[in-house]
Amino acid sequence: MAVIDVKHFQKSFRGKTVHRDISFSVREGECLGLIGGSGVGKSVILRSLIGLEKADGGRIMIEGEDITRFSEKELTPIRVKVAYVFQNGALFDSLTVYENLAFPLKEHTALNDHEIEKRITAQLAEFGLSGNEALYPNQLSGGMQKRVGIARSIIIGPKVILYDEPTAGLDPYNTLKIQEMILRLKEKGVTSILVTHDMPTAFAVCDRFCLIGEGRIRARGTREELESEKEGYLQSFIRGEKGV
Amino acid sequence: MKESVENTLSFLGGTTLLAGQVLRELCRWPFPTKLTMEQIYQVGIRSIPLVFITAASTGMVMSLQFGLGLEKFGGKMYVPKIVSLSIIREMGPVFTCLMLAARVGAGITSEIGSMTVTQQIDALRALGTSPIKKVVLPRVFACMIAIPLLVALANTIGVIGGLIVGANDLGLDPRFYVQKIFETVTLADYFSGFAKAPFFALAISIVACYYGLSVREGTRGVGSATTRSVVTSSIFILVGDYLLTKGFWVLGQWL
Repeated sequence: MAVIDVKHFQKSFRGKTVHRDISFSVREGECLGLIGGSGVGKSVILRSLIGLEKADGGRIMIEGEDITRFSEKELTPIRVKVAYVFQNGALFDSLTVYENLAFPLKEHTALNDHEIEKRITAQLAEFGLSGNEALYPNQLSGGMQKRVGIARSIIIGPKVILYDEPTAGLDPYNTLKIQEMILRLKEKGVTSILVTHDMPTAFAVCDRFCLIGEGRIRARGTREELESEKEGYLQSFIRGEKGV
Repeated sequence: MKESVENTLSFLGGTTLLAGQVLRELCRWPFPTKLTMEQIYQVGIRSIPLVFITAASTGMVMSLQFGLGLEKFGGKMYVPKIVSLSIIREMGPVFTCLMLAARVGAGITSEIGSMTVTQQIDALRALGTSPIKKVVLPRVFACMIAIPLLVALANTIGVIGGLIVGANDLGLDPRFYVQKIFETVTLADYFSGFAKAPFFALAISIVACYYGLSVREGTRGVGSATTRSVVTSSIFILVGDYLLTKGFWVLGQWL
């Protein structure tokens, strides 16, 4: 069964149509890459999957549940099982790294302080962030902020992770670190969607791809299928040619 | 013109909805006590120096001006009555809240605006929590508690400021000054001024939170939202002051 099923999704902003007809589905344990040029609305699709944006038309199903018209309250359980990794980490700047990670645990679990500490220590170690517990987000590098952002998003064990440009603006070392993290989570069976225009990362972690452009899906398939496609826009995008 | 009407309606609708959401979150357990206490410190304790200076200088200047003006007509002895009544009924609440609209309102809008721009508000929602409960409610509640207390403080400091100038510069006997204050100012006078504070606090906090959450144009938007927040809440305070004064006066006639 598809964990995420999007049917005929439509979205406009102030009369300007961003998406006319977007349909795709993601199976359990799969990583889908939503690729496309800047400004085509990839993040809009991702945000709509947890109700941060409301669809103008179409349906969004999460584990068989139509969340398209859900209220903020009804979306809470969806947001617990579907984690969202923001492009810049979106860490709470008034909280330390430790407090950022403790936040979802305090909100959605009944763990005591000792159990929370144990969980955070293990999580930080897994992400190579041990020793940074007392630092504030502005004291971290961009790569570390993104890793803390991922750590915070997955600390309560979501079934699905939505990554919004997780490697944007990172050096090759941090990009590789993020890729490893995504692959590690994938090995654990976590379903994911990766929004990016960083093709090496997309090819490294995704099973299938949807190329977004002009408000629709212009191409879809595995890496091999995309590379064998003759479609001009697709090939230009993959090769990073201008005008895309 | 059309855009201006749309913006006004959108503001009125948005602030009303926000106030409703705050009220709904207020009824939902658990109450964010720790966050509210932090905000009471930010809004209340950290505003004391500003309120102190504003109230003291208002009282002192009023006492001096009325003293010098009324002296020509032999009416210097009316200074305690005029100054204390003006401060307690009008100047204390209005001046204090105007200063707090600038300090607290601007602070709230820029803080929430920055959180909006850096997607921290979205992150709260994405983590399955309510930004209204975590961000808006503590600030509104803190304002509702701290601002009336600051107004009470400003009333006291303003009257004392007037007394100091009355005694030192106008040559009035301090005991006479205090006696005249207690003879003139009734509990009804005090409450007609003090009762405005919760309304002003609500206007400052809801307007500030609304503009903070409405920031859409990146960091540039934070600046303009902060300006709009201060201007709008100041207008609310000034226009609201007239309406509340009239309302309390009508209420006084009935009772």
